[in-house]
Amino acid sequence: MNMAKTESMVGAGRGNAARPLAGRSREDILVGADGAGSALFLMAPALAVYAVFTLFPIAVTFWLSFTDSNGFNTDAGFVGLENYRKAAADPILWQSLWQTLLWLVYHVVLAGGLGLGLALAIARLRRSQVFFRTAFFLPHLVSLAVVGVIWANIYDPFFGLLNTSLAAIGLGGWTQGWLSDPSLVLFSVNVASSWQGFGLYMLLFIAGLQDIDPSLYDAAEVDGASAFQKLVYVTLPGLREVMTFVMSLAMINGLKGFATVFVMTNGGPFYQSELITTYIYRLAFQSQDHGLAAVLCILLSVLAITITVVFNKWRARLRR
Amino acid sequence: MMKMLLRGAAFAALLAGAGDLKAQTLKMWGPEQITEPLIAELWKGIKADFEAANPGVKVEFIPPTGTISNGAVQAALQSDAGPDVVLTNSGIGRVTVVKNAKLVAPLTAQYENRGWKAKIYPWLYTELNGQFGGEIYEVPDGLDALGVWYHKDMFAQKGWAIPKTWQDFVTLMKKIDAAGVQPLAIGPRTTGSAGHLFGNLLQSASGTGAVGKAVGGKLSWTDPTMVTGAVRLRELVDTGLIKKEMAGLDLEGASRLWFTKRAAMFVAGPWFTANARKAGYDLANAGYAPMPSDLAGESKPTGGVGWSWLLPANSKQPELALKWIDFMLSDAVMKKRAQHAASTMIYPRELPGIEPPTPVLKDIFAAAAQGVGYNPSVYLPGSVLDTYFQVIQGLISAQITGEQGMAEIQAKMAAAQ
Amino acid sequence: MTMHKREWPTVVALAPVLLLVLAPFAWLIVSSLKSEIEIGQADPLSLPANLMWRNYQDAWQIGGFSELIGNSFLNLAGVVALTLLTCTPAGYALSKIRFPGREWLFYAFILGLTIPIQAIVIPLYEVLTALGLVNSLSGIVLAQVSNGIPFGIFLMRSFFTNVPDELVEAAKVDGATHLQILTKVFLPISTPAVQALIIISALSTWNDFFLPLVVLISPQVQTLPLGLVRFAGTYSSEYRLVFSGTVISFLPIILLYILTQRRFTEGLTQGAIKG
Repeated sequence: MNMAKTESMVGAGRGNAARPLAGRSREDILVGADGAGSALFLMAPALAVYAVFTLFPIAVTFWLSFTDSNGFNTDAGFVGLENYRKAAADPILWQSLWQTLLWLVYHVVLAGGLGLGLALAIARLRRSQVFFRTAFFLPHLVSLAVVGVIWANIYDPFFGLLNTSLAAIGLGGWTQGWLSDPSLVLFSVNVASSWQGFGLYMLLFIAGLQDIDPSLYDAAEVDGASAFQKLVYVTLPGLREVMTFVMSLAMINGLKGFATVFVMTNGGPFYQSELITTYIYRLAFQSQDHGLAAVLCILLSVLAITITVVFNKWRARLRR
Repeated sequence: MMKMLLRGAAFAALLAGAGDLKAQTLKMWGPEQITEPLIAELWKGIKADFEAANPGVKVEFIPPTGTISNGAVQAALQSDAGPDVVLTNSGIGRVTVVKNAKLVAPLTAQYENRGWKAKIYPWLYTELNGQFGGEIYEVPDGLDALGVWYHKDMFAQKGWAIPKTWQDFVTLMKKIDAAGVQPLAIGPRTTGSAGHLFGNLLQSASGTGAVGKAVGGKLSWTDPTMVTGAVRLRELVDTGLIKKEMAGLDLEGASRLWFTKRAAMFVAGPWFTANARKAGYDLANAGYAPMPSDLAGESKPTGGVGWSWLLPANSKQPELALKWIDFMLSDAVMKKRAQHAASTMIYPRELPGIEPPTPVLKDIFAAAAQGVGYNPSVYLPGSVLDTYFQVIQGLISAQITGEQGMAEIQAKMAAAQ
Repeated sequence: MTMHKREWPTVVALAPVLLLVLAPFAWLIVSSLKSEIEIGQADPLSLPANLMWRNYQDAWQIGGFSELIGNSFLNLAGVVALTLLTCTPAGYALSKIRFPGREWLFYAFILGLTIPIQAIVIPLYEVLTALGLVNSLSGIVLAQVSNGIPFGIFLMRSFFTNVPDELVEAAKVDGATHLQILTKVFLPISTPAVQALIIISALSTWNDFFLPLVVLISPQVQTLPLGLVRFAGTYSSEYRLVFSGTVISFLPIILLYILTQRRFTEGLTQGAIKG
């Protein structure tokens, strides 16, 4: 709907205020004499909170990225694009950006993949479905920071569950420095994070599977389709909607990844598990470089918006 | 919401009845580990004495959520509900961060007015006075002295001893390794702990003079005289004398290796007694020796100001906070702390006739009496610290060479100048 | 569906996966009942000689978990209540009332759906400071509600859009105001959406670490995840306490979930997918 049309409708609504309701068209009723007023009244609580605690901070973040603000109490000066120049030349920023993208991929594959696989298996079950669904969901109830504490102990190279179990079952050669090996650390932390995350995706997939019209399976059966063919031609297409939803959810959740890294490695060793979010925290609350941190904030927002837009386009195309 | 209303009401009351001395509260950030029974006992006693000496005043401890290094102190200082006086890990690097953010008030004048100058070692005052062009923002509470901890029983049984030279030290580490014990544990995820070992290695290889110049920016970190310590650390990692896996450990994970005697040595300061006590380690078995060095007279602890009092710029009780610091610097309190079983540090002035309660502390104090070198973690500029710590992690995880690491640090030093 | 002929092969295949997924819990619970010396032996398959229930007693006492759990539930209740209070009427207005700027407002809300909280934390912190809300549960509640508003509005609006306009018209003819229509006509039929909103906002609040880390400074106001990380950091020389404290931190929510699991699962999935 365009603005001009809206305006004219409101005008009409006002003019018609005195007429009895029964004689009015649907448009008129939905506008109503009290349209704008009621809307404002009903939106006021949400708007007030949202404007103060989200919209205003978004605007200020933009402004900060052009200043040399280095603390909350100092008066920041305008420095133009200096922070952006500094950001472009900062190797850690590029490393954290790359690692954030890698982190997203790991999360989508690990948590999304496990969620989908388990959903496919569990949705077939009748009697034991509730049991498995409930049990597999348990990790999702542990908050991510606590997950970090748990898995840091699991990964402890000398005392942790993982290495000691491997040694106990004769696989001592497989023990690793899970959080110290530069090529492993990001993945290790992501496993912890995905362990917590997959349960939600699993539930969503199960719900999606239950929405697929059973007659499609019957038809496939009649056509003599194998289990694999049914999966490819009936199940997966039927899950498309849920799949895009889960994918975008997983990416946004992945992008917000912070707690596990902060607790388990704090970005180390030597920045090998630094994410944009942990780097923002480091800059904003440890080095007090708010200008550079604000550039990262904007980078993070742009990334999030891009992902959302791309997925919505994809989703819209699937619907057609 | 209630709280907000209450706070508003409290503020209004404050405006109305300013100067009402009846209900003053001094909120103190610290001390660390206040929940430990021994430490709690000591501090509750101090608090009671202060409250008795200042009727109508209540002291409230805020158990720290962290340090300046991880941003916890800054967050607390920025909040309106923050502390009135702060006790935290200090050193010029950390103090620079809060000073630049204008979160702490200068205390220079108080050193003269309140006689604090006479209450700390003269060399300490000179040092503080030189850090910010004459302005001082901290009052030292305790000094650190970092060196090598070992198990007396294990060393006696195997006939090991901390040697005098670096070469012999490496030989000892090899012997320990061959005996199936980890020679040295380190937890670089706790950044300060990473710095304790690295500072020891730097001083052992390059000497106090060079390290002092390097932290002050007067000697390049890439200078051949400076690089050796970093190269040695990488060599220890490459030969497996320090396990690469330790790059993922924090202080507690690493010290657990030492407390359970899976590791033979650990680099730490007097505060390690508190960790040991909590882990149930028998402190009578703890031995301490400075890191061996080939340079004459350079086998001594590293250290510097470990903990300091800071006055938040937005302290609601600045006068009371200064009074509190007076009190903490008084002979009575300092002696009480030094003799208490929970004592874990070197005090900022000489306390003649006071015997530390834990045997290993005597060894540490004796080693420190001959002078303490620089722990770069507390002397480096704030903007360099993060890189410094990450470089140590990079060396222990064998990602970079000693030369590369030092070049990274030097690049940050150059930018900070 | 003709797929449920035989269950046991699937069950057999799922069992080892379940074992792996739940192994951390089992290990944690067993370790939490060991003595410090037994933990130091680093043998994951050994059982404690004596069950050290004392670990729980000590952790509970030292860690102040009763306070932390109280704070977490207070935090959760505040966020859920305010989210419903803000998002339901706004979702209604955006779907059933035409007014100028409606689309723009909706876009403004959607913008927030994509922007992670970490991206606005610096000014958000300043706003909280200016309002005297740092280090208070009210501050964290308001920030979290604001962070959840985009999703909440999106959810409620999608649900209300599917409700036929005729319901509004009929009520209007009877002379009802929009507020009356919302509370008397719409709310009674929107249980699925409201349930979903409650569960999703409760879960994300329970989970939140970043905002509490930045905003909640004193232990008296801290929530469970933050409190546990602080506890684990301070007490990590005593692993028996770290382990028992960790179990304490997730036990209440897991029990709550098991008790309400059917409702919970339905609420979560129905609202999120079909809303």
